[in-house]
Amino acid sequence: MGKAFDWIYSRFGIKESHKGLLKRTIPGNVNYSYCLGGMAFIFYCTLLISGMLLSSYYIPSEKEAFQSVVRIMRVANLGLLIRAIHKWTANLLMLSILLHTLRVFANKAYRPPRELNWIAGAFTLVLSFASGFTGYLLPWDQKAYWATVVGTNMIATIPLIGNSLLLLVRGGPEVTGFTLVRFYSLHVIWFPLLMNLLLWAHFHMIRKQGISGGL
Amino acid sequence: MATPDQQNRRTFLKTFIKIGLIFLAFISGIISLVFLYPSEIRKRELKFFYAIKEEDLPRRGVKRIELAYESNQKAGSFRAFLINNGGKIFALSSVCSHLGCLVEWSRNNNMFACPCHGGKYDIEGRIIAGPPAFPLERIPMKIRNGKVYLGLKV
Amino acid sequence: MESGDRGDKRLYPDYMSEILIVIFFSLGLVVLLSLLFPPPLGREISFFSAYQPAPEWYFLWLYQLVRYFSGQWAFIGNIIVPLSSLALLLSIPFIDHGTKVSRNMAIAAFALLFGSFLVLTLFPLIRI
Repeated sequence: MGKAFDWIYSRFGIKESHKGLLKRTIPGNVNYSYCLGGMAFIFYCTLLISGMLLSSYYIPSEKEAFQSVVRIMRVANLGLLIRAIHKWTANLLMLSILLHTLRVFANKAYRPPRELNWIAGAFTLVLSFASGFTGYLLPWDQKAYWATVVGTNMIATIPLIGNSLLLLVRGGPEVTGFTLVRFYSLHVIWFPLLMNLLLWAHFHMIRKQGISGGL
Repeated sequence: MATPDQQNRRTFLKTFIKIGLIFLAFISGIISLVFLYPSEIRKRELKFFYAIKEEDLPRRGVKRIELAYESNQKAGSFRAFLINNGGKIFALSSVCSHLGCLVEWSRNNNMFACPCHGGKYDIEGRIIAGPPAFPLERIPMKIRNGKVYLGLKV
Repeated sequence: MESGDRGDKRLYPDYMSEILIVIFFSLGLVVLLSLLFPPPLGREISFFSAYQPAPEWYFLWLYQLVRYFSGQWAFIGNIIVPLSSLALLLSIPFIDHGTKVSRNMAIAAFALLFGSFLVLTLFPLIRI
């Protein structure tokens, strides 16, 4: 693996505990429908990286958000492409998660001992929906604003606590700059962190339980 | 071998750790929620803003007005409908009571239609069709010295 | 990875190289779509014009669902139905406990979820 790698290996000591990871065998009967989950993960990584890039230009403020997105699209080098990649990847992520769920269900891969992994997967789906919703507001254009007004108003229909929840989500009675910052925070910190945790659990369980091979 | 005393001590410590962690999670959860809850929810009061001149009120039918206002150093904007329904003049909010989209007056169908989820209201703001639960909100209106004022909750 | 090949293989380098091909394919697809159809930015927010906010396709089911629950029932469509669908999705491993009947019940539950998602997503698309 090269001298530099060996130097790091010998100190970090990761080689011993993770040797099995690279040397482990994959059942021969996996076909290409098994890579839908992997594709979802690739898309997630792409989202993380393109999102980090976008966040260095984006300004989550009522007055500047829209202009900063315009700047990303018109001024920033490759800005149009990076934004397009972020948006398209988000759509493809959703699609691949849904298809992955379909594949897992068809293979009965939710059966014991994999129940918990099915649940973890379902929550990654929920988190993806939530990330999609919060990210939709960030361009702060007509579409974003009104979609958020409608989406958050739905919370207010909960009896008793609906209005308090609405205030909590919006950071005030209306959709304003406070809502924008809140959604920004959720979209770039809370949800990715939770997602990383969930994905770690998801992969950990796959490793422990192995790939569900037999149909 | 641990003595019975040490055993007891360990059981106690384990329970302590369990309860302590739950307590920490609970407290930090509460503190986070309190922190995130908006602190300044001003009591909204009714204020009247000049909208249009009295002679500009519609003779028949519906007129849409858009007004920008300033209150407590905060700029706001408002969109409403002024309606003359057979001599009865009143103002309706243009916010759909369903989920908050802006409704549009359709002259051909003689009704207010919401573009989002198909809510429909008649000229008095009463629900004709769709998912809304409440009629369009009436806006208090005052006419003084030939000027029309609308009461907004700001 | 031919289906006839039942021999197990190592993750590295056999499987890894296949994974890399999938990665290239996925990223290629993303870049191609992004170059061909870059998403436009909408107009600036206006509080004056009636606007029909179209959600992303993966929220169309909810968008369609809230139309069906009017008045005081809005709460059902807005909150109860989505949450109970999630509960149903989560309970699938527990519906199916190994017998043939229970697997069929799980299939029914999953088909209900996926089917209604598809129908509710396609319905507004056809109408728009």
